[in-house]
Amino acid sequence: MEYDLNFSWTGTIGHVVIGATRADGGTRKTSYTLGGGTSLPYLDNNPSSPSPLVALEICDNPEFWSPIIRRFCGDLIHSTSDWAKTAETVYGADLVRLYLTSTRVRNFSDIVSVGKTIESVLDATALPLIIEGSNEPGIDSDVFQKCGETGQDERFLLGTAEASRYRSIAAAALAYDHSLIAQSPIDVNLAKQLNILLREIGVQQDHIMIDPYTGALGYGLEYSFSAMERIRFSALKGDTDLAMPMICSAIDSLNIKEVREADPALQDEMAMQWEFYTGIAAAVAGAEIICVRHPKTVRMLKNAFADMKNNAGFSGVK
Amino acid sequence: MALKALDIYKLLPKKNCKECGDPTCLTFAMKLASGKADVDLCPYLDDQAKSVLGATTRPPIRLIKLGVGERSFAVGEESVLYRHDKTFYHPPGLLFKVSDTQSAEEITAATIRVRDETLTRVGTDLRFNGIAIENTSGSPAVYAHAVATVEENADLPLVLIAKNTEALNAALIQVGSYQPLIHAATKENFREMCAIAKKHNCPLAVKAHGLDDITSLVKECLAEGVKKLVLDLCPQSLGNYITLSTAIRQLAISRAVPDLGYPVYIDATHPSLQDAAIALGIVKYASVIISPPLSPASSKAALTLRQNIYTDPQKPIQMNPGLYRVGTPGKDAPVLMTVNFSLTFFTLQGYLESSRVPCFLLIVDTEGLSVLTAVAAGKLNETLVRDSIRKFNVENEVSHKTLIIPGYSAPLSGMIEEATGWKVLVGPRDAAEIGEFLHEEWKK
Ligand code: B12
Ligand code: SF4
Repeated sequence: MEYDLNFSWTGTIGHVVIGATRADGGTRKTSYTLGGGTSLPYLDNNPSSPSPLVALEICDNPEFWSPIIRRFCGDLIHSTSDWAKTAETVYGADLVRLYLTSTRVRNFSDIVSVGKTIESVLDATALPLIIEGSNEPGIDSDVFQKCGETGQDERFLLGTAEASRYRSIAAAALAYDHSLIAQSPIDVNLAKQLNILLREIGVQQDHIMIDPYTGALGYGLEYSFSAMERIRFSALKGDTDLAMPMICSAIDSLNIKEVREADPALQDEMAMQWEFYTGIAAAVAGAEIICVRHPKTVRMLKNAFADMKNNAGFSGVK
Repeated sequence: MALKALDIYKLLPKKNCKECGDPTCLTFAMKLASGKADVDLCPYLDDQAKSVLGATTRPPIRLIKLGVGERSFAVGEESVLYRHDKTFYHPPGLLFKVSDTQSAEEITAATIRVRDETLTRVGTDLRFNGIAIENTSGSPAVYAHAVATVEENADLPLVLIAKNTEALNAALIQVGSYQPLIHAATKENFREMCAIAKKHNCPLAVKAHGLDDITSLVKECLAEGVKKLVLDLCPQSLGNYITLSTAIRQLAISRAVPDLGYPVYIDATHPSLQDAAIALGIVKYASVIISPPLSPASSKAALTLRQNIYTDPQKPIQMNPGLYRVGTPGKDAPVLMTVNFSLTFFTLQGYLESSRVPCFLLIVDTEGLSVLTAVAAGKLNETLVRDSIRKFNVENEVSHKTLIIPGYSAPLSGMIEEATGWKVLVGPRDAAEIGEFLHEEWKK
C-alpha cells in the first residue's frame, strides 16, 4: 500500500532567512532558511523543510529573569556576551534570542548601551540572532532603530510586533533588512490580520515569522497547540497571509506553579521537562523555532528533533 | 460508506430480544448507523450479515478495554485527526514497565507508585494507569513470579510482554480473567498468540512494521477470531512513529482501511528519547504508552500534557458560578470575586486555603474564560458582577459591602463600584500573593 500523506494540499509555507554569513555580507557562521513545508510537520519528508531550530533565550538585565536560571547559570548571566557564547559553545543552541531587558527600567534612555550590548553579543557568538527589543511603546522607536542599525547586514529576527504596536519594529526591519516576529494571542484570524497590517506597510511575507503565543504547559498550551495546527492548515490550504513559519516561546513556563514551587533539588529538571514537553508538542503542531530558557533543554530538544526528522524505515507511506 | 438505519435493520434478526442491550432491533440499528454500537452485541446475526455490517457500522476505531474494576480504562473510539475538529475522547493509558529480571523490591516499588501516585490539577486526579511486565528472563516460572508480585500489590491494568508462550500461559493462569493486554502477536507466532488471547478473552497487541504488514496481520488475527486488538507499529525512529500513527489514524477514521481501526501502542523505552516518545505518543494518537517508571519531573509534565491535549477544545473545564466558601467564613469575612475557569478557581483556592483566612469566593460566569482573557473579551464586566451579587444573595451572607477583585481586572474597579454600590478593593495580580494581601489589607 502506498499511502499519500499530503492530504492533497496545495499551499507551501513561505521561506524566511535568518542570519547572514560573510558571503551574504554579514558575520554569522551560518544562515538558516525556515519554511518550505508542504504538509504537516514530519510528514512531508521534504528535505527543504528543516528540523526545528532551538533558540536559547538570554537577557541583558537578569533582574527580569527567572530565579531558576539565575541560580543555574551563576555569574555567567552578569556578562551578556559570555552567556551568549556558552549558548553556542557549551549548550549547542542554533540561535540566541537576546531580550533587551535593560530597557525595561523606568525612564530608560541609554540607547547607546543597546547598540553596545548587541555588538558584544555579535562578537561573542557566530550564531544568527533574535533580538527582542523594547517592551514600552514610548521608547520603541529609538530602541528598534538602534537594534536594526547595529545589526545591519546580519539578518536578525526582530521581536515582537503586536497589533497595537508594530510600526517602529516594522520600520527598523524594513530599513535594515531584518525579519520580524508577529505575535497575536492564540487566534488564527488575529494572526492573519496582523500579517495583513504588516504587509500593508511594506513588510514582505518572507520577512515575517508568526508567533501565535504559547500558553505554558498546563496553562493554555492546548489552545496554542490547536491554534498552531490551524494556522498551518490555513497556509497549506492556500492562505498566503498565514503561510509563514512559526516561532514558539512559552515564556511563562518557568513562572508557573509546578516549576516555581518544585522541590529545589528537582527544580532544574522540572524546568527542563516543562520546556521540553511544550517544545515537542509545538514542533509537531508546526513551530519551526522553539525558544527555551533553561540551557539544558536545548540538547534534549535537538536530540529529539533529529530523531523526529529521521524517517528511517518509512514503510508504506509516500 | 455508511449504511442507513433502515438498511441495517433489514439485515438484523428482528427478534427484539433485547440481548444487545437495546429495546428493539430498530433502535440497535440506529445505534449501528451512527457508529455507536458494535455488531457483535447481537448474538443472532449470521456471518453474512456480520461481514456486510462489520466494517461499515462499528466505530472507525474500536474501543478496547484494559483491566477490570476501578482502574480499568478504555481506549479507541476516536473520530478526528485534529483535536480542534471535535475533541479527543479517550486519553492514552500511561503504564510503567518492569522486567522479570528486576528484584521484587523494584517491581513492587513501581507497582505501588502507579497504585498510589496522583497529581491533582484543575480539580482532576491524574494518574498513571497500569504496569507492563516483560519476560526478559525467558523463564516461565520467573515471569509468573514477577506477575504475582505486581498482582499482590495492586489491581491494575496489565500488559504482559513475552515472546515465550509458556511464560504467557504461566502468567495468565493467575491474571487471565483481569483483561491484561497480551503483547504481542507477530507474523511468526500469531496462531499461538491468538489461541491464548481467545482462551482468556484478552485484548491482544499485534506487532508489525509498515502498513501492509500490520494490515495483513490484523486480518490473520481476525480470522483466528480475536477482535480486541491493539497495534504496535514498532517504529524505527520518532519520525517513523509520527508518520505511521498519522497514516493509521487517517486510514481508520476515513474507513479507507477498516482493518487499521484499532488503538495504537507505543513502547517509549529508550535511553535518551523516552520523554520525546511519550510526548509524541500523547499528541500523535497513541492509546497505550509504555515507559520505565518516570522521574517526578517527567511524570508531572507527561500527565499535564495528556490532560491538556485531551481537554475538549469547545469547552474549557468550568466551574458552576455561585458563592463558594473557603473554610467557615463568618459575616465579616472577605468576599473575593473570580471567574469560572476551573484553572483559575483551583489555583486561587489553593493559595486561599494556605492563607488560612476563611472567606467567600464569588464565581461569576465568564463562560470558562480566565481573568485576563475575560477582561480582554469583554466577558467580565460590571453588569455581570452586579447580577451575580444579586443572584447569589451575597448581601445576605456578609455584613459588609467590600468586594476584592483580581489585579488583572483593575480597569473595571470604578465601573463595578458604580454598578453595584459596593466598595472595590483591587487584589494582587498573582494569586500567590493573596495570603499576604489578605493579612495586610483586609485586617485593616
Ligand atoms: C489560554 C488563553 C486563552 C484561551 C482561553 C483560555 C481560558 N479558558 O480563558 C483562548 C485561546 C480562548 C484565548 C482567547 C483570547 N485571548 Co487569551 N490568553 C490565554 C493565556 C495564554 C492564558 C490564560 C490563562 O489560562 N491563565 C491562567 C489563569 C489561571 O489565570 P487568571 O485567570 O488570570 O488567574 C490568575 C490571576 O488572575 C489571579 N486571580 C484570579 N482570580 C482572582 C481573584 C482575586 C480576588 C485575586 C486577588 C486574584 C485572582 O490568580 C490566578 C493565578 O495567578 C493568556 C496569556 C497569559 N499568560 O495570561 C492569554 C491572554 C489573556 N489572551 C489575550 C487575548 C487578547 C485574548 C483574546 C481577546 C484574543 C482573541 N483570540 O480573540 C481572546 C478572548 C476570548 C474570546 N473572545 O473568546 C491577552 C490579553 C491581553 C490583555 N492584557 O488584555 C493575553 C494576555 C495574551 C497576550 N499576551 O496577548 N486566550
Ligand atoms: S440482540 Fe439482535 S435480535 Fe435481539 S434485539 Fe438486539 S438486534 Fe434484535
